[in-house]
Amino acid sequence: MTTGMAVRSAESDLLRDPVRGGSQHRKGRRERVREGVAGWLFLTPNLVLLGLFVIVPLVWAVFISFQETDGFGAGLFVGTANYQRLVSDPLFWRSAVNTLLFTAIVTPLSMAIGLGAAVLFNSVLPARGVFRSILILPMAISGVATALIGVLVFDENNGILDNILRFVGLPAVNWQSGGFAAFASIVLVTLWWRVGFNMLIYLAGLQGIGPQLYEAAKLDGAGIWGRFRNVTVPLLGPSSFFLLILNVIYSFQVFDIVYVMTGGGPQNATSVLVTYAYDTGFVTRDQGYAAAIGVVLLLVTFVFTAVQWRTNRNRDLVE
Amino acid sequence: MDVTRRNFLIGSGALSLPLLLAGCGFVPRQSPPSSSGTKTLTFTTWGTDAELESFARAITAFEGESAGVKIELNTVPFGQIFTNVDAQLQAGNPPDIFRVPYYTFGSYAGRDQLLDLSPHLESGFADRFTDAAWAAVQADKKPYGVPHHTDTSVILYNKTALDSAGITSVPTKLDDAWTWEELSQVAQTLRAAQPEGTYPMAYNWQGNGVTRWLSLLFQADGRFLDEGLKIPTLDSQAGSAAVDFSASFFAKNFVPPNNTIKSSTFASDAWYAQTTAMVWSGAFAIPDATKTLDFEWGATFAPRNIRGGGDFGGNALVATAGTANPELAAAFLDFVTNEAQMRDFCQSASLLPTRRDLTESGTAFAVRPELAPIFLGQASTVRPEDSSQVASAGMSKIITVLQDNLESVFAGATSTEDTLKAMAEGIARAIGGSA
Repeated sequence: MTTGMAVRSAESDLLRDPVRGGSQHRKGRRERVREGVAGWLFLTPNLVLLGLFVIVPLVWAVFISFQETDGFGAGLFVGTANYQRLVSDPLFWRSAVNTLLFTAIVTPLSMAIGLGAAVLFNSVLPARGVFRSILILPMAISGVATALIGVLVFDENNGILDNILRFVGLPAVNWQSGGFAAFASIVLVTLWWRVGFNMLIYLAGLQGIGPQLYEAAKLDGAGIWGRFRNVTVPLLGPSSFFLLILNVIYSFQVFDIVYVMTGGGPQNATSVLVTYAYDTGFVTRDQGYAAAIGVVLLLVTFVFTAVQWRTNRNRDLVE
Repeated sequence: MDVTRRNFLIGSGALSLPLLLAGCGFVPRQSPPSSSGTKTLTFTTWGTDAELESFARAITAFEGESAGVKIELNTVPFGQIFTNVDAQLQAGNPPDIFRVPYYTFGSYAGRDQLLDLSPHLESGFADRFTDAAWAAVQADKKPYGVPHHTDTSVILYNKTALDSAGITSVPTKLDDAWTWEELSQVAQTLRAAQPEGTYPMAYNWQGNGVTRWLSLLFQADGRFLDEGLKIPTLDSQAGSAAVDFSASFFAKNFVPPNNTIKSSTFASDAWYAQTTAMVWSGAFAIPDATKTLDFEWGATFAPRNIRGGGDFGGNALVATAGTANPELAAAFLDFVTNEAQMRDFCQSASLLPTRRDLTESGTAFAVRPELAPIFLGQASTVRPEDSSQVASAGMSKIITVLQDNLESVFAGATSTEDTLKAMAEGIARAIGGSA
C-alpha cells in the first residue's frame, strides 16, 4: 500500500512539471535498465552454475539414455532400446516398487512426527530448546555418516539394538539378513535423519499463526483436537506443501543411506532406483541404461510435483 | 575508480571463477612438458598409510635417478577413485598413471584406455614376474600395465576359540591344507562347541570381494570363462561343487546370516568382534589386526579340493593411452617393480610380491613376519589361467552377475542348478558371447 501511494505521488509530480517530468522519465528508464543489468549480473553466477551442473548434465543424461555406452569413446545410438529393456527388467521394477514404498512410508511419517514434535516444542515445555536441538542435530550430519551410525545400531551380530533386545530377553531381529527388517531399518534411520528438518519447517510455520485465532476458536467452543484440526493444520498448508514436495523428491532420490547400510540387499529387498542406477552406471558401466533409469526417475518426480502443484489448495493459504 | 561494494563483488567473482573451475576439474590433469624442461607425470592412487609412504619413497628415488623428472602423487579415497578416473578419461584429461585392481583392469584395457607397454619395455621384462601375475595385466596378448603386488585369502583363526572346541592344531604346510571335507568337519566341531550368536567362520566375499568366491571354484578345478575368455564355463561340475559348498556355509550355520555378498558388515568385523572363530582374509589385514586384536590369532591355508587355489587379489599400475610421456611412464612402472622397490612396498604394507625372485626367496612382513610363508604359499596355488580370467575385459559386469546370483542361492531362494544357469547366461550377456 505504501508503495502504491508513493507511485501515485510521483505520477502527480510529473503531471505538474512536464519539463522536469521528461528528464525524470528518461532518468527513470535509465535507472530501470541499469537495475535490470545489475539484476542479471547478480543472477549470472547462479545461472551459469545451474546451467553447468544441472541443465547440461540433465540434457546430456537424456542424450546418453538413447545410447549403448560404457562411457569411453563414442556411444552407439540405440533409440529407445534402453527404455524398452526397462519394461522387462525385474530388478528395475523391484527397485521402482521399493522406491515408491519407501516414499509412501517415509513422507507421511516424517511429516506427521515432525508436526507432532513441532506442536509439542512450540508449547510451554521445560528445556524445549534442548529438545529442539536434539531433534535438529541429525540434520548437521552427512547422509553417509548417518548411515554408518545406522550400521552400528542395526548390525545383527554386534549392533546396539540387537544387543539390547538380547539383554532384555527378546529375540534378536535379523536387520541385515531379513528383507522386511532391512527395509524397516532403512526407514527408521531415514526418519531419525529427516524428522528434525520437518519439525523445523513446521515450527517456523506455527510461529506465524497468531494466538488470537486459537483464542477465537476456543471461544467458539473448539477443543484441543478441534483447534489443531481446523486452525493449525490448514494454516500450516504452505509448510506442508513445501515439505511434501521436498520429502517426496528426497525419497525418490534416496541413495547414501541405502548404499551404506544394505547395499540394496539382502536379495534386492532394499534396492531403490538410484542405487540400481549407480550400480548399473558405475559398477557394470552400462551408462546408457543407467541414464535411462535416471530419466524415468526424473519424469516420475516431475509428474508428481506438477500434480501436487495443481491440486494442492492449501499451498498459498495464509492467515 | 571507486571501490564500491558492487565492484568489489564483481572483481572477487571474476578472480575466484578460474579457481572454482580448476577445483571442479576443468583444468588438464595430465601434465605437459614444462618450459623449464622438467617432465612431470601425474600418478593417482589410493592407499593405506604404509602403502602411500612406500609410494612416496619410490617416487623420491625415481626423481633422484632421473634428472628433470617430477612425479605428482594424487591420493584419492578408494570409494571415489574410479568415478574420478572414469570422468577424467571421458573428459580427455586422465592422470598419466593410476592404480587399478586386477578385476577392474580388463574394463580399461579392453576399451583402449591404457598404454600398450610392449614398445617401451625391454625384452625379457616379463620374466621378472610370476606367470599368474603377468597374465593378469594382459589384454589381447599385450601388456597394458605392471603387476605391482598381489594378495590372496587364507584363513585367520582365533586360537582361543579353536582351543576351546578342541582344535589344537591347524595345517602349517601347503600340502597339508584342510580339504573341503576337513574344513567342514572343523566348522561342525566349532559349531557344536560355540554358544548361540557365534559362528565358526566368516567369508570375505562382500561387495567386489565376490571375486574371492572364485577361490572355491578354482579349488574345484573350475573356470568361469573358457581359455579364449569368450564363453562362460561356470555351468559345470566344478561350478556346482563350488556353489553347493559355499551355500552349505549358510545352511549349516557355519557363517553368520548377514555374511552375505551385499552385507554392509565385513567378514573381518565379525571376526574382530569374536562373533566368528575364523575368517577368510588377505594379508593386507595383518597390520590392523595386530594393532587392534587382544586375542591370540594365527593363520592357516585356505582349503583345497581337487587342487589348491586362491583368488588373485591385488593391484596393477597402468599408464593411460593418452599420456604425453609414454617412455617416462613406462620407465616409472619399470622402476616401481624393481626388486628393491617391490620388497619395500610389500614388506611395509603386508602385501605379496609379484616378482618371481621375491616369491621364491620369500619376503618378510614388517609385522607378524612368520605369517608371510602362509600367504606366499597360498599365492603359489594361483595359476595363470585363473588370474587371466579375473583380469578379462568383462569382469566388471561379471562381478554383478556373481553378486546377484550368489546372494540369491545363499539365501536359499534359488537352486544350485538354476543359479549356475543364470550365472552362465548373465556372464554370456556380460561378455557378449553365448552360454
